[in-house]
Amino acid sequence: MAEPIIRADKLTKYYGRARGVIELDLEVQPGEVFGFLGPNGAGKTTTIRTLLDFIRPTAGRATIFGLDAHRDSLAIRRRIGYLPGELTLYESLSGRELLSYFAHLRGMLRDGRGEVLAERLDCDLGREIRTLSHGNRQKLGLIQALMADPELAILDEPTLGLDPLVQLEFFKIVDEIRAAGRTVFVSSHNLPEVERICDRVGIIREGRLLAVETVAGLKERALRRLELRFAEPVPVDLLAGVPGVRDLVVDGANLTCVVVGPVDPVLRTALRHEIEDVISHEPGLEEVFMAFYGGQAVGEAPDAA
Amino acid sequence: MLRSVFTKVIHDQWRILIAWAVFAGLWPALYIALYPSIGAVEEMQSLLDSMPPAIRQLFASSDLDISTPEGYLNIEMFSFVAPLLVMAYTVIAGGGATAGEEDKGTLDLLLANPIRRRRVLAEKSLAFLLGTAVIGLGMWLGLAAGALGAGVEVNLGLVGQAIVSALLLGLAFGSFAMAIGALTGQRWLAAGLALATSVAAFFLNGLGSLVDWLDAWRPVSPFYHYIANDPLVHGLDPVHAGVLVAGTLAWFAVAVVAFERRDLRR
Repeated sequence: MAEPIIRADKLTKYYGRARGVIELDLEVQPGEVFGFLGPNGAGKTTTIRTLLDFIRPTAGRATIFGLDAHRDSLAIRRRIGYLPGELTLYESLSGRELLSYFAHLRGMLRDGRGEVLAERLDCDLGREIRTLSHGNRQKLGLIQALMADPELAILDEPTLGLDPLVQLEFFKIVDEIRAAGRTVFVSSHNLPEVERICDRVGIIREGRLLAVETVAGLKERALRRLELRFAEPVPVDLLAGVPGVRDLVVDGANLTCVVVGPVDPVLRTALRHEIEDVISHEPGLEEVFMAFYGGQAVGEAPDAA
Repeated sequence: MLRSVFTKVIHDQWRILIAWAVFAGLWPALYIALYPSIGAVEEMQSLLDSMPPAIRQLFASSDLDISTPEGYLNIEMFSFVAPLLVMAYTVIAGGGATAGEEDKGTLDLLLANPIRRRRVLAEKSLAFLLGTAVIGLGMWLGLAAGALGAGVEVNLGLVGQAIVSALLLGLAFGSFAMAIGALTGQRWLAAGLALATSVAAFFLNGLGSLVDWLDAWRPVSPFYHYIANDPLVHGLDPVHAGVLVAGTLAWFAVAVVAFERRDLRR
């Protein structure tokens, strides 16, 4: 296997006694879109800010492109684009001035790519940043991170505040980056988003990496709550024995259950009766954690503090 | 315009800087223009002579003597107005150099670019140096225009040297503020601490000339090196000026080391 683009080796960060991340081992391969999934405060931003050398690990180390994240930070930063988690921009500049400033700091010969991205994301570069909505600021953050076509884009919560249409365009852009063979590291607390754009997902909670899964594997093990409304009452044991079905409750013509893994066999069986409505609840983060660590409920994870 | 951290500072500051330089020029222009119309010089002088020596020493480098334009300027301008006009800029700019961006939250974004932390400090410092020079120029032009307009005879070369001494004093405190900002990431703490230190240094130098046991400590105060030699009369003293420059560079070095090593806040 080729040398990983990002490699964290027992990466540990404490802020005084407060926990950042603990003994994080991670490898992100060239050309993949890697999702870093976890609730707020899990340590995603801490990890990312260590990769960029804004903060230094308490123990362990990280390499990017095989270079040391601290010692070789300048060489690394020439080759990456970064979107901060809580984005703050220079209020008195226009979008175009901001992009021009960073293009110069990057030594880019031309910044036409920024204009193209702005066009696609429907971002008005002429306006002063202080007058922009949160969503438009976020677009600018994405544009400045991606305009240099970096080998590695590190995006901390990239879709925060983007409206759905712009999100779709952003997903397309990520697909193009993957197709071009470049690497994306994206943090999120939104499972559907990660499933949509990522190849693999690292799940982090309370500073520890719980698992690294392919998106396919994640879907296979994901819990999903399903509500079916039939035209007329159905047998109580309609779905009994269908693989992956749990917590089955049938009340006349209404059926609810939890499905682990693919819903296809469930729906095929159910379609023997006329269905009036289907409601599927996307699994939340906690449900994913439950799927992986059913025995270890929320709040029982090992705490290092 | 926005080609580097240096030009970004100029882009952000030029309006307020020009305004400040004009203000810093108007102040001495008015004072020097008023000098010939202080008719009762002798009366004023006797009033000054009757003041307690402690007060006199605090507000003047040499003997309180308003019978010459130099003595008058020393009292009205160089004792503390000129340092204040310069430090209001250097301390706030220095304190906010990196800590301003850290406070506002733009530092992560800036440093994601391929630029070293020490380079950010160096480019900002150079921009502040230019800004400080502009303020000094404003003061000198104002004073020169006022003197010429009112027909007051002063040695404009020596005035320039006294202003340079004030600029060096301002830079020393500005670079101290920058170091505190680089250490803590808190701009108002940095500026406040530098300002408080400058007040203490002002009194140390002023009172030191009155109190025997304090006298030995006066060289600790940057104000001593700024004005003890009376640059308006004797010109800029290379040793005293050198001490101020050395102090500025030393605090800059502290800022670089602190900033390179620190975890940045977000």
